[in-house]
Amino acid sequence: MDSAVDEATGGGGSAPVDTKKKPAAAAKGRATAGKGKAGAKADTKTKESSLLKQKSPAEFFAENKNIAGFDNPGKSLYTTMRELVENALDSAESISELPDIEITIEEITKSKFNTMIGLVDRERVDEALYDDFESDKAREKRLAKEARFQETQAKNAALGKKVKEAPTVRAKGRGEASFFRVTCKDNGRGMPHDDIPNMLGRVLSGTKYGLRQTRGKFGLGAKMALIWSKMSTGLPIDIKSAMKGQNYISFCRLDIDIHKNVPHVHLHEKKANKDHWHGAELQVVIEGNWTTHRSRILHYMRQMAVITPYAQFLFRFLSDAAEKNLTIRFARRTDVMPPVPVQTKHHPSAVDLLLIKRLISETTKQNLLQFLQHEFVNISKPHAERLIGEMGPDFSPKMAVKSLTSQQLVRIHQLFRQAKFDDPSGNCLSPAGEYNLRLGIIKELHPDMVATHASSAQVFEGHPFIVEAGISIGGKDVKHGINIFRFANRIPLLFEQGADVITRTALKRINWSSYKINQQQDKIGVFVSIVSTKIPFKGTGKEYIGDDITEISSAVKLALKQCCLQLKSKIVKKLQARERQDRKRNLNRYIPDVARAFMETLVEIADESPPKRPRYDKEDEELLEKVNSQEVTEMTFRDCLAQHVEQVDYEMALEYAMQSGVSEEPREEIYLNSLDGSYKFVDFQSPLFVFRFIP
Amino acid sequence: MSEKKRRAGPAAAGAASSSKKPRAAASYAESLRSKLRPDASILTSLRALASACAAASSKSKAAGKDPADQDPAADYIVVADQDSTSVTSRINRLVLAAARSILSGRGFSFAVPSRASSNQVYLPDLDRIVLLRRESARPFTNVATARKATVTARVLSLVHAVLRRGIHVTKRDLFYTDVKLFGDQSQSDAVLDDVSCMLGCTRSSLHVVASEKGVVVGRLIFADDGDQIDCTRMGVGGKAIPPNIDRVSGIESDALFILLVEKDAAFMRLAEDRFYNRFPCIILTAKGQPDVATRLFLRRLKVELKLPVLALVDSDPYGLKILSVYMCGSKNMSYDSANLTTPDIKWLGVRPSDLDKYRVPEQCRLPMTDHDIKVGKELLEEDFVKQNEGWVKELETMLRTRQKAEIQALSSFGFQYLTEVYLPLKLQQQDWI
Repeated sequence: MDSAVDEATGGGGSAPVDTKKKPAAAAKGRATAGKGKAGAKADTKTKESSLLKQKSPAEFFAENKNIAGFDNPGKSLYTTMRELVENALDSAESISELPDIEITIEEITKSKFNTMIGLVDRERVDEALYDDFESDKAREKRLAKEARFQETQAKNAALGKKVKEAPTVRAKGRGEASFFRVTCKDNGRGMPHDDIPNMLGRVLSGTKYGLRQTRGKFGLGAKMALIWSKMSTGLPIDIKSAMKGQNYISFCRLDIDIHKNVPHVHLHEKKANKDHWHGAELQVVIEGNWTTHRSRILHYMRQMAVITPYAQFLFRFLSDAAEKNLTIRFARRTDVMPPVPVQTKHHPSAVDLLLIKRLISETTKQNLLQFLQHEFVNISKPHAERLIGEMGPDFSPKMAVKSLTSQQLVRIHQLFRQAKFDDPSGNCLSPAGEYNLRLGIIKELHPDMVATHASSAQVFEGHPFIVEAGISIGGKDVKHGINIFRFANRIPLLFEQGADVITRTALKRINWSSYKINQQQDKIGVFVSIVSTKIPFKGTGKEYIGDDITEISSAVKLALKQCCLQLKSKIVKKLQARERQDRKRNLNRYIPDVARAFMETLVEIADESPPKRPRYDKEDEELLEKVNSQEVTEMTFRDCLAQHVEQVDYEMALEYAMQSGVSEEPREEIYLNSLDGSYKFVDFQSPLFVFRFIP
Repeated sequence: MSEKKRRAGPAAAGAASSSKKPRAAASYAESLRSKLRPDASILTSLRALASACAAASSKSKAAGKDPADQDPAADYIVVADQDSTSVTSRINRLVLAAARSILSGRGFSFAVPSRASSNQVYLPDLDRIVLLRRESARPFTNVATARKATVTARVLSLVHAVLRRGIHVTKRDLFYTDVKLFGDQSQSDAVLDDVSCMLGCTRSSLHVVASEKGVVVGRLIFADDGDQIDCTRMGVGGKAIPPNIDRVSGIESDALFILLVEKDAAFMRLAEDRFYNRFPCIILTAKGQPDVATRLFLRRLKVELKLPVLALVDSDPYGLKILSVYMCGSKNMSYDSANLTTPDIKWLGVRPSDLDKYRVPEQCRLPMTDHDIKVGKELLEEDFVKQNEGWVKELETMLRTRQKAEIQALSSFGFQYLTEVYLPLKLQQQDWI
């Protein structure tokens, strides 16, 4: 979605060009017409459109909140939480601090909510006015049912059976809204005191624009949550923030003026920062639905913990009912953090006309040659000269870049489309890293086996991307069959799984059985993380990546296959080990049958009277003698065979041990959390190490 | 419609306009009836065929050697009928050797000829599939073969017991003597074939037979275990072909040919219409894929009576496949192919070219499935098909038109069209390849 934002700001940025050149104005008009959204978001300061009715970006998103994932109260609660968490992670990572994030969702009952906003509780007077009014008939029915239930309950109790919980009789009425206070606290960069209102109270203003791998989807994040809180509860947002080394904490309470898209500040003050805290804490009260989206939220937290094992999360759910309360801590398992993704320049094959215009208006470079050389990746100086030569006689390396006409820009654009450029490198990307992915999987799923693979950077439409994959077998809380965990730019994707490229690839294009994996019976975890400067999402919700991009689907398939190959050798080894264990048992099982079969025949041969029977070798005759004299019996055969099996098994075991002894699995480093606080240790000294016990 | 006309073209031979409607086709089929000459003249031609066939076989006998007799043990396995004492002594030797090996603490192992399909080849000289001589060890102390070795030992001991008592049992009987060990009849059956190969004797020499499947009816008299059987007095169902060929003796017949039928339904039609009384013949069916007993029986008839064999099968790849089993043997029983195959079977019908010749209506023809076509193409590569030019042509016709039909397709002209018109006409025209 970065590009939509880019276009929006680009539209605004190109305004100065319009005033200079007439054709440019035409181009701008086309751009706005082509992009309805961009048009609606057009900056308020554009003068020429004053005759038209204006809609602020905040208004647009308030009306189309489903675009940002605020479809219904339940989804809104989920999206609010995730936007806050993702902002918090970005903030901590931007200063290379190991993220430490606390999320609290607090259920607020209606009366509590009313007192919060200063509304006096009012009893219902005209009961029949309400949707959940119970008529006399319905009441009779219910009472009869309850009586019946109590009767069976009493019977069960008398028989000593377990007493069932009384079923919850009433579902919540339609009008019964539930409210939640969502708080998210991080240890990140914090926000400069004076910028807070603009950073949170103005839609489509942000720090994450530009070509870079970011978590943020719209640059909306917290602002959308604010709009939702304003729509559902009318309550403002509370922000506490402090930057590193700042001796005060900024406190700000604000809401947003949706029509003007400007912040409306209630309170903006500085407080003492005694603990040298840095980071941000946002608190917002919104309408939501915990019942329907509880599992989604928990899944999100778990998957986030998988992909960011270097972060520590504390998730709490608080409500009046104690049994519903929930505290989950996702512990940190490593202090290795992926590098901060760096901002990169555009790749010539990935730019459009509007973007070229914007780059020209923003560039500090004077002439065309410098512009091409410095504002794009993979264009060297000689390459730029060749390109300019190719553009025709109207172009020269020294011409002022700001003087280019609209037609000339189209020429450049066309050339960019057709010319061949080297692929952009993946250096600007920040994948989770195989190590972290592996650790995350082990930490959260405790699988029996895990394999990971990171592909090298590849390119789709001028944007580099990296696919990392992991496959786990077994583990706790994993369903039988294939469990898919999708990540895009290191955030979990939970919705619209069916059409996703990862789902399709895992279910359709991997022949699991050829890797000795049972698609139905085994607990398979499939983890795929795709990072890119632009993730090619499908649909409005930005919840899945389409299956029609061959570059991505083949990269996903390859990565998964690599994981499978790693697993296969492990599985085969395991099967061999099991076979070794079973060998003796399997062989011994058949001994009685064999002994009986041979003995029966031998007795029959021996029974035949000597004249009728053909002569055999001397040894055979001796054997038959022994059978006749019962010196050799079925038991003799059994013993001999058992002995032989024992011997063979021993030899094979020796051979196996010799083979498998060589190829032991590589060891993995473990991460130990440092202990906080001071303890009294009991030391056990040794010449080489010390054991310290906490008594 | 034009395509249909084109296909009907060569067969219609000038009467193309009548091919448009099924009714017209039916009347054409009926018109063929008038082409029939009196049975007597057909019989003369049949007699000529029979005597030619007898002469040919006696000549080949005079020429002396079946190529298989020249060097039977060279490259491939040939099993022979053996009496029970020699089979018993072979088993005895195997068992004694294994027993001594066990007692000396070395476990035991059987050397079993490999019956893998890669080991079975068609020899054009012999015109049948044979099993190459290649043995694989079956040691007891190997997880992969322990079970097979055990089953082999058990089957050997069971066969030994059967032979000693001088009785016959079915494969099913054998299986039920130790269900727990065998688990599945296919396993004991497979090991039984292995044992045949190991001992170098036919399966019937082991006194283990399959249950009855084939049926015979017609001008044939033989003794089944001493009881005189007259196959003209067997009703419509026919006489079940004895699974144990040893019981059959004293074969007599005044038939002029043997008619091999693929299906039970066509067999019943022929039997009920007493086709064998109109044209003296022996009618035989195995109800689909032929079992060992039927193949043995057919071979026995052919060798003793020296009659020509005509085949009536479906016009589809499977019909041909069944024919190939009669003629060249199956892969599963390749080690015994010398005793089981009857070369020189003539393909009488229903051939792909007949569909147009007799103007079988479109609704009675079926489109070939992809699988059919695959099988058909594979057949074209088979040596036994390539040997006969006429067959190649017919198969190519089938693959080109992509149509197949069953024998019953002829019933569209009336249930008795098969016996009253189709077969007599075929015989009269000597239309076999």
